[in-house]
Amino acid sequence: MAEFRLPPNSRIRGGVTHRAPAGAQEVRTFRIYRFDPDSGENPRVDTFELDVSGCGPMVLDGLISIKASVDSSLTFRRSCREGICGSCAMNINGINRLACTTSMHELGREIRIYPLPHMPVVKDLVPDLTQFYAQYASVKPWLQTETPPPPDRERLQSKEEQEQIDRPAACILCACCSTACPSYWWNSDRYLGPAALLAAYRWIIDSRDEATGERLDALEDPFKLYRCHTIMNCTDVCPKDLNPAKAIAEIKKMLIERQS
Amino acid sequence: MAERPTSPHLSVYRMHRYTLLTSVLNRATGLVLALGLLVLVYWLMAVAGGPLAYARAAALLGGGIFKILWLALLAVFAYHLCAGLRHLVWDSGRGLERAQSRASAYLVLIGSAVLFAALAAWLLTGRHA
Repeated sequence: MAEFRLPPNSRIRGGVTHRAPAGAQEVRTFRIYRFDPDSGENPRVDTFELDVSGCGPMVLDGLISIKASVDSSLTFRRSCREGICGSCAMNINGINRLACTTSMHELGREIRIYPLPHMPVVKDLVPDLTQFYAQYASVKPWLQTETPPPPDRERLQSKEEQEQIDRPAACILCACCSTACPSYWWNSDRYLGPAALLAAYRWIIDSRDEATGERLDALEDPFKLYRCHTIMNCTDVCPKDLNPAKAIAEIKKMLIERQS
Repeated sequence: MAERPTSPHLSVYRMHRYTLLTSVLNRATGLVLALGLLVLVYWLMAVAGGPLAYARAAALLGGGIFKILWLALLAVFAYHLCAGLRHLVWDSGRGLERAQSRASAYLVLIGSAVLFAALAAWLLTGRHA
């Protein structure tokens, strides 16, 4: 059920302010969600005034600079710094995006950073994605076939068939979409969420896959699929310009069409 | 170790974003229209209750405060209708690209305002009678 208020242990209390050093040239104010699991205290929002004149242009550069020069305990995931690993997904100025592909200059002087919304927090900006990954696994994101492959070559696709799955297959599982979805906030225990459904769609329309019927059967459920109310936050935030909302609409259409 | 906190959602997400704004408005207007049905039920019961009951209801519902309520319900209806048509198009698999849904959000907001203004003008100038 929809729980609009945060539980008591999740409400944000106070925070620490780190002032910029004297003589700073270009100061930006980072307000960053902090949670330390060892302290037993509630989460807080710390303020960091950072001189960004010496660091790279992206939000991730700012975070790395804070960790290196102000507070080494600041915890966040990052890896590729070029938008392909999906590790540094977080809520930046109210919208889910990748810290590594978001320029500080498009955000203004104040940059507010929270973990992906409505997720269990491991520490600071690191959410627990266990359930998100389990939902991805539940759509069986691999090729399923009955017929044996051709003895002398791979299972081939036409160019058009490949183009069908080109975009959906580019998902990096950063979880920006699912954690931007209010339906997922309120029903993540039963609604699969846009990322898992986009993955399901990618295999449903794969010309080589032979489990299309079973895949559709598995999704024909009031919660797994039909909690999508076309709010469109998923497509709005996807850092790879993919379209989970359209994928879900297409699955819904296929379920209707196969009834006739 | 203490239980993991839930990260903030409604309090940090950008609620005036075109996606959320149109969706929340659609839900809210739907709720208001459902409540408005109660007034319709009262009116229908008054119609069934004979001339005296109807005269009493007509006097009550035609009163000053209700005139404002009717206008509000009209605005709510105009928005819910336009937003519903947008959902109908979406359900056919069309208009779901990001630029399209952004454009249709503004279309719904402006379209429903125009529809409301037209309906209100028509009712208030008495041309319908």
